[in-house]
Amino acid sequence: MRNRKPGTRALAAAAIGALCVVLLGAVVAPEARAEYGDVVINNHSDKAGMRPVVFPHWFHRVRFACKVCHADLGFQFRAGGNDINMVKIIDGQFCGACHNGEIAWAIENCNLCHSAPPGTPTQVHESTLQRMGKGALGK
Amino acid sequence: MRPLLLVIACCWAFAAAAQQGKAVYDKSCALCHAAGVAGAPKFGNAADWSPRIARGAAALYTSALSGTPKGMPPRGGNAELKDADVKAAVDYMMAAASAPAKAAAAAPKPAAAAAAPAAAAAPASAPAAAAKPAAVAAANVNAFNRLLRPASRQNPPPAEDGIHDPKNDGTHVLQAPRSAFDALPRSNAGNRVNWVAALEEKRIAPRWDRADPKASGLVLDFNIVREVKGSMPDVVYPHKQHTEWLDCSNCHPAIFIPQKGANQISMAAILLGEKCGVCHGKVAFPVSECRLCHSKKKDTAAAAAAPAAGAAK
Repeated sequence: MRNRKPGTRALAAAAIGALCVVLLGAVVAPEARAEYGDVVINNHSDKAGMRPVVFPHWFHRVRFACKVCHADLGFQFRAGGNDINMVKIIDGQFCGACHNGEIAWAIENCNLCHSAPPGTPTQVHESTLQRMGKGALGK
Repeated sequence: MRPLLLVIACCWAFAAAAQQGKAVYDKSCALCHAAGVAGAPKFGNAADWSPRIARGAAALYTSALSGTPKGMPPRGGNAELKDADVKAAVDYMMAAASAPAKAAAAAPKPAAAAAAPAAAAAPASAPAAAAKPAAVAAANVNAFNRLLRPASRQNPPPAEDGIHDPKNDGTHVLQAPRSAFDALPRSNAGNRVNWVAALEEKRIAPRWDRADPKASGLVLDFNIVREVKGSMPDVVYPHKQHTEWLDCSNCHPAIFIPQKGANQISMAAILLGEKCGVCHGKVAFPVSECRLCHSKKKDTAAAAAAPAAGAAK
């Protein structure tokens, strides 16, 4: 680095600039800054022509202890690890245990759950695994 | 004599405003606008600025003050800026883009009249502006936490959070996190909410049963201390805070064998989403909060007295 040729520095600056733009572009353009613990579930949605589901953990943990869903209703602790479909929900399983028009709004409000941009992969937003690159947004 | 004084005073006032705009620009705007990062209109670039200027200064003020969906953070990400500061910076940038020659010609005169060194105040002409960014970046050497998300950009509403589709009508009906979080104790990680404190202070009352608001669970109040290798403080695992949210069957026996010493736990496993990492790093407070778990200071005297015992473990 000591004996820089003239122009090397400019080149390096340009490279760094380009890198910054790429990084910032990645951050600014499709940047997801959703809540920690927001889960995107895309087991079947894309294939069925629906937007993937966003499950907001924060909203639900204000209202229910973890055990209600994860012990009583049988939700596994893994994004995409529950084979949920609309038939099961209508049948009162999984989300359908509450989203039945009694405890929470019923399933005709499709777009309240199916609200992620099409093609968003299954993930836990801002999870350690996502930050380490597994299932990161856009991959 | 009087008209001359007036002219000098006017020029001086103009220069002062320009100088304030420049100062704000250098501090808060140049990081993106100097180079035109991520679609930001580039400083002094008439092509970038003319369509924006055509829509009027008021629209530009609003964008600068409130931010834009394209990535402009409110007040350039510096919440401490006053409205007047932001507007002065916008004026400064507009002037540089719309009439660089005029600005360059106008600035030295009042500066000279005020007998001040001209260099500082002179809004540069186009080539000089191109040379500016490097100098600005160098002057900003003491800025820190550049990549941290400022408070103004935490907990955004669903339509702006990047994970909800703004084109979806349902997105706009969903509750914005801040409307709930503003009433809750804060933390530095995760949702920026201290959920355990929120529960303790009874700010939230999560149901223990799907349908019965009065149901309550059995809270188990006993701590497990895990001695850890190296210099990290030992881990204190509180059953209390966990059983306020969870059922025994959530963790035992699938994740943790309910017997002291029977569970191999490592930070690597936790980072990979196993053991504590089944929740911590996904929804419960993340692994960045080391000291919330590693909270029991080692008894260094005892440790020094029995190094062999420690090595044998």
